[in-house]
Amino acid sequence: MVWLRRLVNVFRSDRVDRDAGREMAFHVAERVDELVAGGMSEAEARREARRRFGRHADIRARVHRIEVIGWLEAVVSDLRYAARALKANSGFTIVAVVSLGLGIGANTAIFSLIHALMLRPLPVDRPEEIVQVAMEDGSHGAGGGGPRGTTFTNPLWEGIRDRQDALAATLAFADQRFNLTAGGVVRRTGGAWVSGGYFEALGVPAVRGRVLAPADDLPGCPALAVLSHGYWQREYGGAEDVVGGTISLDGHPFRIIGVSAPGFSGIHVGRSAGIFVPLCSVRALRPGRDLLEARSTWFLNVFGRLAPGTTPSEARGALAATAPAVFRAAVPAHYSPEERREFAETSLTAEAAANGLSLVRGQYREALLTLLVVVGVVLLIACANVAQLLMARATSRQHEVAVRLALGSGRARLVRQLLTESVLLALLGAALGTLFAHWSSRLVVGLLAQAGRAVTLDLSLDLAVLGFTIAVATATGLLFGLAPAWRSARVAPGRAIRGSGRGLVGDPRQRFARSIVVGQVALSFVLVVAAGLLVGSFRRLATADPGFRADGVLIASVGWSDLELSEARGATFPRELVERVRTIPGVRHASASLLTPISGTTWNDDVAFHEGALESRSEWPVMFNGVTDGYLETLGTRLLAGRDFTPGDGAGAPPVVLVSRALARRYYGEASPVGRRLSTFVHDSVGPAMEIVGVVEDARYARVDEDIGPAAYVPLEQTEPWSPSTDLALRTDAAPGALIPAVTSAMREIHPAITLEFATLEDQVAVSLARPRLLATLSGFFGGLALLLAVIGLYGTMSYSVARRRNEMGIRIALGSARTGILRLVAGEAGGVIAAGVSLGVLLAIAGTRLIGSFLFGVTPTDPRTLALSALILAAVAMGAALGPAWRAAGVDPMVALREE
Amino acid sequence: MPKRRNDILYGTLQLLVLETLTSRGPLHGYAITSTIQGSSEDLLRVEEGSLYPALRRMEQQGWLAASWGITEKNREARFYEITRAGRAQLARERETWERVTEGVRRVLQYA
Repeated sequence: MVWLRRLVNVFRSDRVDRDAGREMAFHVAERVDELVAGGMSEAEARREARRRFGRHADIRARVHRIEVIGWLEAVVSDLRYAARALKANSGFTIVAVVSLGLGIGANTAIFSLIHALMLRPLPVDRPEEIVQVAMEDGSHGAGGGGPRGTTFTNPLWEGIRDRQDALAATLAFADQRFNLTAGGVVRRTGGAWVSGGYFEALGVPAVRGRVLAPADDLPGCPALAVLSHGYWQREYGGAEDVVGGTISLDGHPFRIIGVSAPGFSGIHVGRSAGIFVPLCSVRALRPGRDLLEARSTWFLNVFGRLAPGTTPSEARGALAATAPAVFRAAVPAHYSPEERREFAETSLTAEAAANGLSLVRGQYREALLTLLVVVGVVLLIACANVAQLLMARATSRQHEVAVRLALGSGRARLVRQLLTESVLLALLGAALGTLFAHWSSRLVVGLLAQAGRAVTLDLSLDLAVLGFTIAVATATGLLFGLAPAWRSARVAPGRAIRGSGRGLVGDPRQRFARSIVVGQVALSFVLVVAAGLLVGSFRRLATADPGFRADGVLIASVGWSDLELSEARGATFPRELVERVRTIPGVRHASASLLTPISGTTWNDDVAFHEGALESRSEWPVMFNGVTDGYLETLGTRLLAGRDFTPGDGAGAPPVVLVSRALARRYYGEASPVGRRLSTFVHDSVGPAMEIVGVVEDARYARVDEDIGPAAYVPLEQTEPWSPSTDLALRTDAAPGALIPAVTSAMREIHPAITLEFATLEDQVAVSLARPRLLATLSGFFGGLALLLAVIGLYGTMSYSVARRRNEMGIRIALGSARTGILRLVAGEAGGVIAAGVSLGVLLAIAGTRLIGSFLFGVTPTDPRTLALSALILAAVAMGAALGPAWRAAGVDPMVALREE
Repeated sequence: MPKRRNDILYGTLQLLVLETLTSRGPLHGYAITSTIQGSSEDLLRVEEGSLYPALRRMEQQGWLAASWGITEKNREARFYEITRAGRAQLARERETWERVTEGVRRVLQYA
């Protein structure tokens, strides 16, 4: 406990010193008494006593060193001194802390996003043991059906679960959006179908009731549900009676058996799963499509936990060994021999997955890393500003420093003390920055969007983020504090006390400050260019003609799975719905289709072109859609040749098809394809021939920034229905939202169990612009901020330089120089700095903007126009800022300037 | 001034202080100096500068307990008292001292 006492004494060192002093004074007094008693005079006795005792100061120092932790005391006193100094210059302190706060805060915000999205381990038991099982080598499925590599069919999952022994536990899940209402407008919430061993494998316990167990996942199981803690708090307010209650999912009742532990909301990062139901209940939720038996419906993600002591590569080997048996037992019946062989040769592998699965991650990873670089540059520029401020202050403190050096303070001690000030400044900036980051990172998450759903990320303050902030702050403090501190301490005391040197041109301190400004200008130029490119890309994307008119279109996704219609009625039901909504006042056009543009749903197929008796297969896939008549009018896609579908192109009628201009041009060249025939492939064999009846304008299909490829439309009633649902599109002249009540009641009249989900086409398109919008917004903001900081730096340096050179200006004016000459002199110096900065910036930009090439649309990374425009803006703003000091220089009164020394 | 041969060896100061406080009870620093000088009949003299750091160190180790008190002359002084841990330390140091001196004596006799 000795160290504890010595630690506490750091803060009581005055008391310690006083005690020691009193004790020693007493000793000396006693000695004096003794000597006087022995016959010495008092004065002599005192001298002798002192001599015998030794040097007071030395002994006091020794006692002090014993009682107090020396280095800690030095740090504490440095801090106290630094705090006093900062308080004394509050103006400077505020400016510095705010700029640092913005810079550090921006870095913390982006890093916390990166951490939450990419680095944070799952909130489960021992996440480092979690792996994801995936397929490799050999494709599966014909014609591009479904995601490859990481999603499995249920028979495959059961094969893996039953046959493997490499993993201590396995689990499977599929993300779902459950509809909580039964009929009418849909209200969806995130959830998942999970295998029985899900919670056990992850080690997530229940806080109320129980979680699902393997016994709950057997065929014919009762409909049970587990709620996540977050969902329970949000939707039920944490009510104690939730266990045993019922919840309606997609129109089916489920019994709630428990609530899982806090902090867990599924394995999918970026999505929040609130309701977990066992896989076996899929049969009840999706009657008519037995997903659990289907051998070519790929929808399950499979994860596992490593057995204690095994490594991922050992697990990989063991899984690969079981793969042949697993795949052979689950081959889809309709596969060709070729496909069967490929399927059977597929192998299994395992990848460490401590941070879960995430689609958002894949989408935003590069964008976030790019943004981290951007905010890093902004922080550098801010640091340069603070460094200049410190150096300017250092000059005015030269006198104090010189005195301290003369009095014997070591240079190292001085440097350390000045650095303490910088680091304290940086830490204050970091405290402010953390607040800023807390608010802004939530704002940025709001800008992220993925397929129309909000992204949810756990942004709670984490040790990693805090550690990052402190590390950045300390590095920042050292970075901008080192140069000024070093220069301060190098001052020769004599010269400094005699009087500061006249600041003439060529003073190395000024040259150093100038080169910093050149660097700032160059860096901010790069950010302005990047912002220009990204903002331009976004604008181009947003205004590009998508091939349809997005405004004024309401999309209603209608589902009738609960109606249990006969097959005949089910086939014509979409038409019934379309006819009904066409009667709604305000609806100009209406149609039904399998999917709508930029909706996230796609359907593509290879086609075979018929030339007389021959068929030639397309080398490229064609994007398809099943539509009723009126679709083209409703969406505003132009018909270029031939005719649109009519109600006559129904189920029994001759098969017809509309092709896009891109398809026509690619295969038929300039000749008109109307009248020719083509067909799609059905399980590797050519389907029935369809006659081309018209050519349609090209339109965007899946993404706003895609290269437009060949597309085709088939009549909705001539396609196999995917599910008892359809997308209705309604065009209106007013706001699309105004139609919602009318459509809702119209559907309810037909049948109250019909489910509805509304969206506008505009919103649908806007979502696909989310990432470009995020990049444009943030890069624009940071580019502007960087420009502002660089200009402030330039202004500050110029002002300071002019102030120090008043003498020189006064002499020049007194000797006859015209004031405009002074103006030109100073402005010319500023211009030189700006020109140097921009030139350097151009080089950096050409080298650096390559990194954002993948985010750009319609423009190259080294676009000359953007470079030129950015240079112009930067130069104009910077020169404008430099004019102030230049004007002041020209306005110097020579008499006043010469008189002051 | 030539260094006095009777200045105390560094390591033995602790031993002497502990012994003094054991036999004489609580004393202030000056009294400890005088006592050691007196008991050794001027053969030993405490270098006063090294006494106080040593006393502080021993206090930190828990061998002494210190408190402020008033002397007969009505002056404020810091009194030191040996603790139980101090007594144990004293026993250890006595044992070491006796071992070392015996060893030195033997070497001088037989080497």
